Amino acid sequence: MGVFLMFIAGMIFLAGVLFVRPKVKTKTAAQNAAVWILYVLWYGITLIGVSFVYINAGVGHVKATSTAIFLFLGLSIVLAVILARVLGLLGVRKTPGSGSAAQES
Amino acid sequence: MPPEKNIAARQEKQPSAMSRRNFLKAGAAAAMSAGLAGTLGAKPLAAAQTTSGAGYVKSKLHSRIDYGGATVRYVEHNDQWLGTSQILGAVKQYHEADQGFYMANRGKYTQEAQDCFYHYHFVMKHPFNNAIATFAMSLMPDQMVSGTPAAEKIPIPDPEQMTQHIKDCAYFLRADEVGVGRMPEYGYYSHKAPSQDDLLRDDLSNSVPVTERLPYVVVVMVDQHLETMLASTGYDGISAAQSMRSYHTTGVISVILADYIRKLGYNARAHHFTNYAAVMPPLTIAAGLGELSRTGDCTVHPRLGFRHKVAAVTTDMPLVPDKPIDFGLLDFCRVCAKCAENCPSEAITFDRDMVEYNGYLRWNSDFRKCTEFRVTNSEGSSCGRCMKVCPWNSKEDSWFHTAGTWIGSKGEASASLLKNIDDIFGYGDEQIEKYHWWLDWPERYGPPQH
Repeated sequence: MGVFLMFIAGMIFLAGVLFVRPKVKTKTAAQNAAVWILYVLWYGITLIGVSFVYINAGVGHVKATSTAIFLFLGLSIVLAVILARVLGLLGVRKTPGSGSAAQES
Repeated sequence: MPPEKNIAARQEKQPSAMSRRNFLKAGAAAAMSAGLAGTLGAKPLAAAQTTSGAGYVKSKLHSRIDYGGATVRYVEHNDQWLGTSQILGAVKQYHEADQGFYMANRGKYTQEAQDCFYHYHFVMKHPFNNAIATFAMSLMPDQMVSGTPAAEKIPIPDPEQMTQHIKDCAYFLRADEVGVGRMPEYGYYSHKAPSQDDLLRDDLSNSVPVTERLPYVVVVMVDQHLETMLASTGYDGISAAQSMRSYHTTGVISVILADYIRKLGYNARAHHFTNYAAVMPPLTIAAGLGELSRTGDCTVHPRLGFRHKVAAVTTDMPLVPDKPIDFGLLDFCRVCAKCAENCPSEAITFDRDMVEYNGYLRWNSDFRKCTEFRVTNSEGSSCGRCMKVCPWNSKEDSWFHTAGTWIGSKGEASASLLKNIDDIFGYGDEQIEKYHWWLDWPERYGPPQH
């Protein structure tokens, strides 16, 4: 079961890489590295959180489970929002001509 | 072409660098790597047949002593140190009748404590605890713990191999951990206590001097059961049963082991819960199974923490002793004090530094308060609250607890961090109801009826 879960985790990591890769539009290598570090950090925190919550909930540590949900899920959401913003998935105002209608014309 | 459009154009033209086929290949490779990593983690049997080269002789059944996540160093056992316990002068042996429970029975504490201890009421008031303790009492007679060895000694050309064998015997008999140590002379009592009736009269004239001096000690350790501890308050009805679980098991193992050694022609005496001629903490430290904790009289194992009981076999069979261990417990206890914060009898000291006691350094708890609470506890049977809340043993085996104890064994700052994390996540002082399997008889927990 552990190896299977590790396999699934690896698959999700690779899927994330495939999703992020075409969206990296940074100007310098440093910015590029920062995006990937942010991605790895977000993935790590999320994975740790899921594992922590899963194990603690299974054993019955109520406070540890609820604290971990707030802590790790909170961190995960914050990092995901930053990552999405950097990748241009969030908060990018559409300017005239950048939409699909403009491309068609 | 503007640079942005150039990039966009390249992205449109270039297919994803990893095709679906390659993606699956990478996944398979990752799974194989994980499998390989698991295989590398398992040691071959041949490796288990050698000495570790560090501090202990390996067993075939448990080729690696499980220290959890703690970083363990092997330290010395000499005139100045017993592991991490510093010896400042002559350590005097003491009379078995001077230990807390017998002091209660002798009337040195309160009348209530004496009443509650007599007939071992504080354990026996719960029928299940009573049943286990009654069995343990059957191991009490001297013929169970000692005897004359067989006339013919089997030759032991390789003491290391014999040490391995004795450890395997103990593991086979269901010990959770086993260690072999050089027997410290001060580990023996000066006298064995007389009968409970003599103690009740505070008459020590029938005390028997302990004259045995054997060079080695085999210490066997058994877990007190994690799930039960997670559900217990630490001082409810099941509390004494947790102790009795490990006491009777270690008792059985030690009695069989001692008899086996005698049948091989060597002297051996079992020391267990109902018949000791030695004090267990120094023997446990000598056998590399723990360090002396803040409580002052209990050792902590790197993986099991307080959650264990031990029994021992002293012998003159040629063995190779393990080395005592240092996993940073003294630094940890110095800053943690969670046991002191949670002790219902306020017996455990909050002192930052250890003090000299009987020729060695330790934290000095109030054993009178501890004993009185345990024998008169009207909310349950005895007490093991310090065991329950200790960050070293308050949880199940998992990667983050392993990481936590690794952090905790790295000095005072990291110990403080571990203790704070432990508190934030609520470990130790919670009761997990789904593991509450035992029956309670609160009407029986009061003082004995005359």
